[in-house]
Amino acid sequence: MTKLSPSPLISRRLAMLSNVDEYGFERPSNFDYETYEEFMSEYLKVLAKRAKKWSNIIGEGKSLQRSITIKRYVRKGIPGEHRGMVWLSVSGGEDLKNASPDLYQRLLNGPHNREVADIIKTDLPRTFPDNIFFNNTENHQHQLYNVLLAFAHQNKTVGYCQGLNYIAGLLLLVTKNEETAFWLLKMLIEKILPEYYTPTMDGLLTDIDVLAELVRMKMPDVYQHVTNLGLPWAVITTKWFVCLFAEVLPIETTLRIWDCLFYEGSKIIFRVGLTLIKRNKENLLSCRDFTLLAECFKEITKDSIVVQCHDFMQSIFKVPGSLPGNTIAKLRSRIAEDRARQKQVKSIR
Amino acid sequence: MRNIRRPIRFRTKDNMANRGTAQRPNGQTQGKICQFKLVLLGESAVGKSSLVLRFVKGQFHEYQESTIGAAFLTQTVCLDDTTVKFEIWDTAGQERYHSLAPMYYRGAQAAIVVYDITNQDTFVRATTWVKELQRQASPNIVIALAGNKADLANKRVVECDEAQAYADENGLLFMETSAKTAMNVNDIFLAIAKKLPKNEQAGNGGSSGQGRRLAEAEGQKATAGNCCK
Repeated sequence: MTKLSPSPLISRRLAMLSNVDEYGFERPSNFDYETYEEFMSEYLKVLAKRAKKWSNIIGEGKSLQRSITIKRYVRKGIPGEHRGMVWLSVSGGEDLKNASPDLYQRLLNGPHNREVADIIKTDLPRTFPDNIFFNNTENHQHQLYNVLLAFAHQNKTVGYCQGLNYIAGLLLLVTKNEETAFWLLKMLIEKILPEYYTPTMDGLLTDIDVLAELVRMKMPDVYQHVTNLGLPWAVITTKWFVCLFAEVLPIETTLRIWDCLFYEGSKIIFRVGLTLIKRNKENLLSCRDFTLLAECFKEITKDSIVVQCHDFMQSIFKVPGSLPGNTIAKLRSRIAEDRARQKQVKSIR
Repeated sequence: MRNIRRPIRFRTKDNMANRGTAQRPNGQTQGKICQFKLVLLGESAVGKSSLVLRFVKGQFHEYQESTIGAAFLTQTVCLDDTTVKFEIWDTAGQERYHSLAPMYYRGAQAAIVVYDITNQDTFVRATTWVKELQRQASPNIVIALAGNKADLANKRVVECDEAQAYADENGLLFMETSAKTAMNVNDIFLAIAKKLPKNEQAGNGGSSGQGRRLAEAEGQKATAGNCCK
């Protein structure tokens, strides 16, 4: 082990036994410590190996260029202590930040729209109430307020959309720095994701349909089954897209997904969604009614498949099969056009 | 820390709450089993999720996480010789999630429109939800209006009389509720259960597509537009 790695790994080891995980989330009373420890004892070896590899490419004065090697490294997981910096660098956020170094401070100085500030304030204590950093210290809630307020004033079209509280909250837990969290939030919403959070949520509604279409193409039996039982795809997947799996999948798995999201873009969300569905295909197909199916879609985000984040992340690049970027681009534009046409018809009526 | 209260059970069958298919009485046991889709609507942070959490799990969290998209839960209540199973859809309150709402109230046989008695704007928003339901939901939908946070009476701005008068004019059930103290929470669900049609022919216009499909999928006797088996 190198000198750089022990402390974060030790903190992980301690967190294994605690009723609070390393990110400050309280574990539920029915948390399966045995299975988790079994997984973690293996995963710690992976983490130690990755930490060593990363320490060789990250060092003082070394800048991180996008390359096939870095992409491979990112897919295998960025060590927690480097996450914020690597996300900022590979997403292009660092360059933007350097171009407007005082933007965040200017946004905090105001003036601020009172209504927007009030809406954000309502959600502060409702963000991760089971996280010790958000429920016990004013500090994190105040930082979250700053990040969301600054973003809402920087991007007035989006303003504040519920769901951003969880994303910004997680960014804060990872980066421990509100300005970095702000820039990462800006990158996600303005560069990486389509228009999920705008008042009409057009990008979200389109991507929900794109995922459904991909399920239809790749798993027609599942698509037919879900349709027959009358469960709309939006009911299942809205939170997947809006929260980028935060508050949906286990925290470590979510962060591993975000590693790829910052490097590879929004296509990753479809890979994760398709993998979740495909790996649980038999369970989903065995649900005989609407209620069971809705419950099953909840269960598949919590089982051991998703807890084992390293295996899960390897599987998202295999299980769904090929997923060319231009297939997604074509689907997005076709579905967006259809939606626009339907909207027009409705408004004429 | 979260304030988790002890569950208060009021003629509810918790063991059935998470099961997909309601158990069919075996000959000698009485009664019908009815299944209804119920949706909660209302402005952000009025207490929709808290009402559901109180009703389904008997718990209350001072700070309930904001709901994204919608949450789905089930709970069963007994009403004389009938077992009523609610499929509950708890929705996100922020205005921009509005475009998703029809997906949740489509085919619903019941709705609880929630406002916060300490916030006038939420009452106004509740009235627009009622209008939308009357215009676009199933014609026979049972709508209940819930004035939540009744424990905060010293901060009240929406008068009970005003809300009662509005409910009467619009044929809504009305109760002031408190998810925190559990006041009227089970009662409002029970009042809805009582008002829902439980005869095979008293269906609600046949627009409850999901209920019907569900019954068919279970391979049990399905009755068009109604849930009773």
